[in-house]
This record gives sequence, structure tokens and C-alpha cells, in this order.
Amino acid sequence: MQQLQNPSSSEAAPVLKIQAWLVEQIAEVLSIDAATIDVHQPLTRYGLDSIDAVTLVGDLEDWLDLELPSTLLWDYPSIEKASAYMVEEFDVTVD
Amino acid sequence: MTLTQYQLAEKLEQALGNPQQADSRMSFQHTAELDEAEQFPHEEIAWLYNWGLQDYYIPTECGGKFTSFEEFVAFVRVLARRDLNISIAFTTLFWSFLTWMAGSDEQKKKLSHLMREEHAAMCLSYSERGHGSDLVGGSVTATKVEGGYLLNGEKWPINRATISDITFVLARTDPEGGNRGLSLFMVEKKDLNPSQYYNLPKIKTHGIRAADMSGIGFSDCFIPDSMLLGKKGHGLELGLKGFQITRALCAAFSQGAADTTMRTTLNFAVNRKLYSKTVIDMPHARRTLTNAFLDMLICDCVNIGAARGFHVATDQFSVWSAVDKYFVPVTLEQVMKETSVILGSRFYMRDEHDSGVFQKALRDSAIISMFDGSSVVNLHVLILQRRQLAKARSRIQKKPDKLAAVQARLAQSFSLSADVPTFEPNRLELISRGADDVTQGLEGTIAKLETLRESGDSTLDQSVLSQLIDLAQIILEEIDAQDALVTESAFEHGHEQSFESFELAKQYCRLHAAIACILMWMYNRDNAELGEFFAKGEWVVLSVHRLLSHFRMDLNAPAGAYYENVAQELLQLHAEDKMFSIVPFQLAQLSTQAANTQFTYQEDTTHATAPEPQFI
Repeated sequence: MQQLQNPSSSEAAPVLKIQAWLVEQIAEVLSIDAATIDVHQPLTRYGLDSIDAVTLVGDLEDWLDLELPSTLLWDYPSIEKASAYMVEEFDVTVD
Repeated sequence: MTLTQYQLAEKLEQALGNPQQADSRMSFQHTAELDEAEQFPHEEIAWLYNWGLQDYYIPTECGGKFTSFEEFVAFVRVLARRDLNISIAFTTLFWSFLTWMAGSDEQKKKLSHLMREEHAAMCLSYSERGHGSDLVGGSVTATKVEGGYLLNGEKWPINRATISDITFVLARTDPEGGNRGLSLFMVEKKDLNPSQYYNLPKIKTHGIRAADMSGIGFSDCFIPDSMLLGKKGHGLELGLKGFQITRALCAAFSQGAADTTMRTTLNFAVNRKLYSKTVIDMPHARRTLTNAFLDMLICDCVNIGAARGFHVATDQFSVWSAVDKYFVPVTLEQVMKETSVILGSRFYMRDEHDSGVFQKALRDSAIISMFDGSSVVNLHVLILQRRQLAKARSRIQKKPDKLAAVQARLAQSFSLSADVPTFEPNRLELISRGADDVTQGLEGTIAKLETLRESGDSTLDQSVLSQLIDLAQIILEEIDAQDALVTESAFEHGHEQSFESFELAKQYCRLHAAIACILMWMYNRDNAELGEFFAKGEWVVLSVHRLLSHFRMDLNAPAGAYYENVAQELLQLHAEDKMFSIVPFQLAQLSTQAANTQFTYQEDTTHATAPEPQFI
């Protein structure tokens, strides 16, 4: 089952939206069922390789219209960690 | 040559002498003997150190003389046209850029000293027998212990694994660390306990037979903390960025080899008489060699543009270096294959006609499209970024300030008389964020051509310009069509890319190359140093036409006179011993005595009538 983190701060909405976006993208990239993705687990566990992770950051940048470190998903290797980092560091707004 | 970035190459040429001359250093005869004997070229490499060439691999701020990749690729061509064993073995020094990029001040100082004063050589220990180009999957480990790490495992196949002083080792420092679990070490072998590491035997290879192609193994081998390069866990990132540097430089090896295969073929074609004509006067042979020369000029535009662009558009090199490393070696492999037809059976001989240098260059250069990331790896890098490139190209058209910045960078990247800024390796990025100035600046490039046409400049050939604008419009249509296709298609990640995606990536390389030709001409046609042939621009019409013929069968055929003028330039460069290049710098000429001997030889072969052996 998809387990989205449920932060209690005012940042909750963007964090959840980014998490949902990443879950959807990774499910598509890896051709797996989104419901099986646990946001706490390292992405490598689902078979996301190094270059896919960098490419996905490019897609994230497109979506958020924001420049991010290309190694973001190497440094924050779970959906939970990456989403939290983006909201904390980049003042992300998600429509 | 007044272009200062080519003066070092000319100086090295003169110091080495003409390789056709048996008594010159690194002559075709001597390097063939080394290759046949599979002997590492110790003396030749020692000569290069004594000459001081290693200084040009070390940035000035680190105590060396490196300032420009354009200068670098020019002198690598000078080495490579003689022998790829020597040039590849010596040029493993370019791995020092890993230290210039990520090393501490102390590590930089140490490496600079080792290279300059102790003539140290190095190798890159990334590959492993069971993992190929999958760096993350590597099984060599570096386990943390007090004061350092214990290395375990084997690296193979590694060029100069045995005959080197320093090895850059990529090893896993954190079993659970994923992409951040690999670290890079600059290992000085003399500081290791000899009982804790060993070398694997020399591997017999098809080409570069004199190379030290071997391996290295570690058994609980202690290395101190001071050998860690950059941050712990950053090895993969450094490794991938380092490849962006070396991939673009590898193309120069192919260019040197292609220069030699063309030169030795012309040595034959301008003298050999068949059916009362010289070979070069036969239409098929003449056009074949002309087309091969055009391909060499195209590769020049790509590689010289990339060498300069490194300093200017550094953050785009995940794209530029992939284009360069795929396009140039593969194109020049084809050039050699097509040229071989003109040389006939001599291309296959190991001890005839210029000491059998054609077959040797052919064998030796076959590895270039494979090492430091194969053609498949480079096309894959492009495929993964292709959708971003299309989106970014669409977005940037609405941003005039960004387009103006693209044009400014292109002018600096392609104008050979412009200074380039100091190369800053820390500006390298794993992905280009959709940027490729060459393709994204095309509309601006066409506008500049239109302005030229309207200027009424009497030095311009209006017919050339009109044809170039028409061809540039076709490039634009093709890029638009490819961008639309890529944007609309389902995007595949990872290693599941279709055959068609690889074909599209090849086409992207050709379009990038075609624009590079136009840019090179446009920004240098006024440069008197490049000569009248360059300025007139017929070659660029033919080059772009040649590249676009991969896309369209119905292009208008260029004038036959253009081909003849390119053929004349080729013959003139051959007669004057100049590099087959858009920058035709002077090569070493035969000494008077050797020239007389050569003349006698040519007279003999002029009347040769012996039938070609049959290889059936």
C-alpha cells in the first residue's frame, strides 16, 4: 500500500504533493505498481539506478521550475527524504 | 602559425621529425617494430617527459602549463598520427584532471610534483571483470580502518595497470550507500605494501599491442586516509564528471590516426599509375578521398568546437562530450574503412608501404570508440537527456536574454581568435538541464547568416551563403521534427531504450555536427590564418550537405567544382606536409636526404605494374 508521509507542519501540502508526484513517476519509470512503493524505503531497492535518479531530478526541475542539485536523489535516497529536503531548502510551491 | 594555441603542436612536430623517415623518433618503422614485438614504448615515453610534455596536462595554477583544451587536442593529434601505443600510454596523464577537479591543495601539489619532477604515470582503475561499464555494481571494496582503508578486489582490464606509479581506484566504501557508497582514491603505488597488491598479466589485444593492458588486484591492501580524493561517497559523481573531460579528448586520438591513414593513402594515390592514369585522377578514388577529407573537416568542427566549448559551456558537457565521443571516432572509423579501398591490398600489409602503418592505425584506433564509455554508453547518455533538450529548446525561444547569452557563448566557443576563460572543472554537471547551445542557438545562427547575406559583403560568395542558409533551414526542420517526436513519445528511462531511440540519438549527433560546421565557418571566415579555402566556404556547404543526406535523399546536388576545390586543398596539404584540418598547421617535413630517397622510391612506384594480390 502507498504510504505517504503525513507531516504536521504547514509544509505538509507541498511535501505530500511532491511525494505523490515521485511515487507516480517512479512507478512509471520502473513499470511497477504505485501502491507497492513505500516512501520510506531507499529508491535503489526498487531498482532505480544512478542515471535514472539523475534524469528524474531533471523531470522534477521541469515540474517545479526550479534548479535542484542533480545528485538530489543520491543524497536523499528515499521519497520521504527527498521531498522533505526540497520543501525545506527550496521554498517549493506546488500548484 | 599565428594562432598561439597551435604553436605547441607545431613545435612538438618539429622535435619529433617526419615519421615516414626511419631515423626519426617515433617513426612508422620503429613504432611498428615495437607493436609487433608487443614492447611497451619506455624510451619514447621517457623522451616525452624529458621534452616536458607532461607540463601541458597540469593547469598553470597547479604549477603546469595547461591553459587550453584546444591546444591539448592539437598536440594529442601530433602524437596520435605517429603511434597510438605511445599517445594513449602517455595521455593516461589526463586522469590527473580528477585531482585538479577534486583534490586537496596538498594532493594537487603532490601530483604536480610527481608528474613534473619524477615523471610519474597513472592509470584509471574503474572497470572490473564482472561488471563492465556498471560502475555502481563494482565489487572492489575499501573498508574503513584506523588511519585509512583496506582495499580488496580486482580491477580489469586497465590500461597501464602495471607500468604506472599512481592508480585512481573507485571502490565501495559503504555497502548500503547506493550511489553515494563509492569513493575515489588516488593511490601512489610506492606507498603500498608490495605483498598487499598484485598485477594481472598483460592481455593480448587486436591493436595497440605494445600497450600495458593488464589489471591490478588488492588483498587487504592498506591505504592511508590521505589517498581519499574528494569527499567520501562522492566517487561515482567524480568518476562520471571525469569521463566528460576525457571523452571529448579521446576524439583527438582518432583524428591523429585518420590523418595518417589519409596521408599514407595519398602517398600511394598520387604516384600509383593504373591504366595510364594516377589513382588520384580516377573519379571514384578522387571523390572517395574528397568525401573522407570532408568527414575529417566535419570532425574538426565538432572536436575543436568542443575543446573550446569546455571552457565556455562547461555545464553542458554531459551532452557535448557524448556527441563528440560518439560522433568523431565512429565517423573516422568509417573514413578509414572507405579510404582503405583506394590503397587496395596494401592497407592490409604489416610490413609494406610506410611500414604497414595503415593496418596498424586501423587496428589501434578500433578501441577508441570503445574506451572511456563506448558508443552505446554515449548514445544512452544522450537518449536520457533528449526529452529535456527538446523541452528546453522550446522554452528558450521565448526568452530573448537567454538566447542572447547562447549566442555570446557560441561566439566564444567557435571563434578561434577569441580567448577562452580558464577551465573550471567544478562547473561540470551530471546533466545539462536541457541545454545545448549548438542546437538551441540555431535560429540565431540562421539570423546571422541572413544578416551576412543582406550585408552585400563583396568578400562573400553569395551562392555559398544562399546554399548554406537553405541547408540550415533543413537542419532546423529536422530538429523541430525530432523534438516533436521525442516530446510526444512515451519516455523510457533506464536501460530499456529501444533501437529507434539509439538511431534518433545518432541523428541528433549529426545535426549537432552540421551546426558546428556552420558555426566554425561563420565565426572564422575572416581569420586569414585559416586561408582562402576555409574562408570561401564551399567545404562547409559540402559538409552540411553530406550530413543531411542521412536525412533526405532529395537534396540538390552541390556543384561539382566544389568537390574539385576540396580535392585540390587535400592534395595541397599533402604536398606541403600540413595537417588535414580546418587549422592546417605545419607538420615535420622530410630531411633533404630522406626526401631524395623518397623521390627515388616514388619514381619506382610510379612505374609499378605488378598486379594486386587477390584476397579471396
